[in-house]
Amino acid sequence: MDRAVRDPVLAAGRTGPLRTSLTTLDAAGTRSPWLERVAASWRERALDTPFATIMAFLTPALLIYLAFTAYPVLRTFYNSVHIIKPRGTNEFIGLKNFVELLTHDATFLTAVKNTMIWASIGPFLDVGVGLLLALALFSSVPFARIFRIAWFTPVLISYVVVGIIWMWIYNYDWGILNGFLRALGLDSWTHAWIGDPNTALWAIIFTHTWKWAGFNMVVCLAALSALPREVLEAAELDNCNWLKRFWFVMIPMIRPTLVNLLTLSLIGKMKVFDLVWIMTQGGPLWSTETVSTYLYKRAFTWSTFDLGYPSAIAVVWFVVVLSCVLALKLVFRERGRLEY
Amino acid sequence: MPSQGLAVRVLGPAVLAVVALGGRAAAAEELQLWSHWADHETKVAFVEEAVKHFEAQHPGDTVKISWYQKPPLQAALAASLQAGQGPDIFYCETGWSEYVDNGLLEPLDDLVDWSNVEGWARDSWTFDGKTYGFPLEVSTVEMYYNTDELAKLGVKLPESKQFDQAEFEDLVKKAADAGITPIVQGIGDRPYPGAYLINETLLKKLGKEDYDKLLHGGLSFKDPRVIESFQFVEDLVKEGAYPKSFSTLKLGESHYYFHTNPGGLLFPMGSWYTSRAFNPVDKGGQPEDFPLGIMRFPAPDDAACPKCKTLSVGGSFCINANSEHKKLAGDVISAMATPEMGTKWLTTILVQTGVKSDASAITGKYKPYFDELSALDSDTDFYIGQPLDYMKGQCAETFKQVMNAGFPAGQVGVEQATDMMDAACYTD
Repeated sequence: MDRAVRDPVLAAGRTGPLRTSLTTLDAAGTRSPWLERVAASWRERALDTPFATIMAFLTPALLIYLAFTAYPVLRTFYNSVHIIKPRGTNEFIGLKNFVELLTHDATFLTAVKNTMIWASIGPFLDVGVGLLLALALFSSVPFARIFRIAWFTPVLISYVVVGIIWMWIYNYDWGILNGFLRALGLDSWTHAWIGDPNTALWAIIFTHTWKWAGFNMVVCLAALSALPREVLEAAELDNCNWLKRFWFVMIPMIRPTLVNLLTLSLIGKMKVFDLVWIMTQGGPLWSTETVSTYLYKRAFTWSTFDLGYPSAIAVVWFVVVLSCVLALKLVFRERGRLEY
Repeated sequence: MPSQGLAVRVLGPAVLAVVALGGRAAAAEELQLWSHWADHETKVAFVEEAVKHFEAQHPGDTVKISWYQKPPLQAALAASLQAGQGPDIFYCETGWSEYVDNGLLEPLDDLVDWSNVEGWARDSWTFDGKTYGFPLEVSTVEMYYNTDELAKLGVKLPESKQFDQAEFEDLVKKAADAGITPIVQGIGDRPYPGAYLINETLLKKLGKEDYDKLLHGGLSFKDPRVIESFQFVEDLVKEGAYPKSFSTLKLGESHYYFHTNPGGLLFPMGSWYTSRAFNPVDKGGQPEDFPLGIMRFPAPDDAACPKCKTLSVGGSFCINANSEHKKLAGDVISAMATPEMGTKWLTTILVQTGVKSDASAITGKYKPYFDELSALDSDTDFYIGQPLDYMKGQCAETFKQVMNAGFPAGQVGVEQATDMMDAACYTD
């Protein structure tokens, strides 16, 4: 039998619109006229309303999104106004968690302060250092290929390894940093870097910057490499020195990239958890406590089993992060698109 | 019909055997056990042996053990038990009373054979008349010291094995002046060792009753006796009692620091010190000829109970209230609760246990240590429980940050530390 006769879809493709070209099989064939009509009707509907096809493709992703993103978010909002205990004990308490959190919880306020310090300084450090490294590579410093690999490598290392490496580096007794200071005869400068509330947060911020500067470097380098040569050459012909070329030509042209990097970095800093947990767990004396570590402690290590209060922290912080991102976008919004 | 009879005679037992085997296979259960002690070889061996005994008594039933470090175990338990899941049996401690409060633990009174468990150990797990945990590991808080270093400083330990406040201050000063770390301690990965000295000082100064009140929020940290105890420890801190790396030194590292490199004079630690130190040197143990001694914590001036000491029930096992195999889980625990296993714990792990055991079975090079410990404990008045067994929530968190970390590190003074503790813990 001709394949088109066996396959109505193929036949339709050959002879024109599907609805006018359905082919019935012979009497001994496998498909009844009724089934044929139903199948045709389905195909017809599918062609008339592509919505069904769209949904068929979208549904799996949508279900995953609903189950693992939308539901947890909505559930967090629900939890935040309840006391959630094991064995299905939920007690509605209205805004009590939020009142407690914002008016009585000194540790939360300390965590907010630390996180905000980090989020205000960290993104500029990450992107600034990344941009400087990218410029070094862009201007083809000697051994640029080696440096590119070396500077990017920390990005590939997990937080656990980074944390352990830097705990060793900061170790008071045998850490390389204090060892270096002792070798220089600067014994009085040696310090328990992550054991002192005055230096712990800065030590971790530095470590975080060390890890992420390479990522920012690669993105900045890509943006710099994409700049039109003629613009840079024109600036050079106009006697722009290197610094002016950088400040007045390159920076404005890669501004969208920088803003996106800053935004991503800001979001990362507002949620920072891993490195702090590995290196200090929020200590000493809460000096490195971030909102995420505090939230985790309240949810899992305080053993109160109440998920309501940690959910309230999550809700408050969700609003704060969203506001900060919007504010950042507003501050750095482009008033007129650069054309080049 | 002979052939039919033959068929019945031959096939009948076969069918019954298949049914029985099938039934047995269907009844075979796999129990889940989650335990701390991932890096404690002898404790791992102990639990595995108990499981072997259980499996021998219950053919077909098996126990799958997952080993953890304590903090990730706590996090995993909190998440899984909250969701109504989790293992059948898990490591637990008496301080985790919130598990009882939230109905997550199954009472063990009728599930475990208690005939071989010390009554006082069982009491530490008894809440409202029901026993919720099996008290396997018991420890006391001890002050270990290097006898050679003490001799080098020209100081002689009194007969009572206890210095008074002034003598102890003098000892710390002498050690610091001689370039020896006076008190080795690190809090890098534990929320309690930094507070050993202040806890034991408070216990002796206040006596058991008032110390208990302090831990339960019934006595202010502004009480003059509490202030004096804090002042005593602050003076020691100012003398340079603790290592500079105190805040980041981890527990395992602090053991090595004390007995191997760079060495130190005193080492306040749970009596489970031996479960690490009495291992071979290549497994982190102390040097073969290490001159280990035990002394009492110093008696503060006007101490209400100078012979008081903290005893705590540590590593225990509990049964998940949601377990579908409670009876079997109880049998797994009972396999640990025999005199033979108690003696095995004592002789291989070299730490006290809540299971009745034969201390005379300890022989060889560690016997003198246990004799010394036993003699020291003979006239001791025990207070049962560590502060973190009783403190909860913000109070526990403040204890970890202030009494365990900030105060002994010299980062906060007496006034600030007691203010913070009072704000978090004092409820009257």
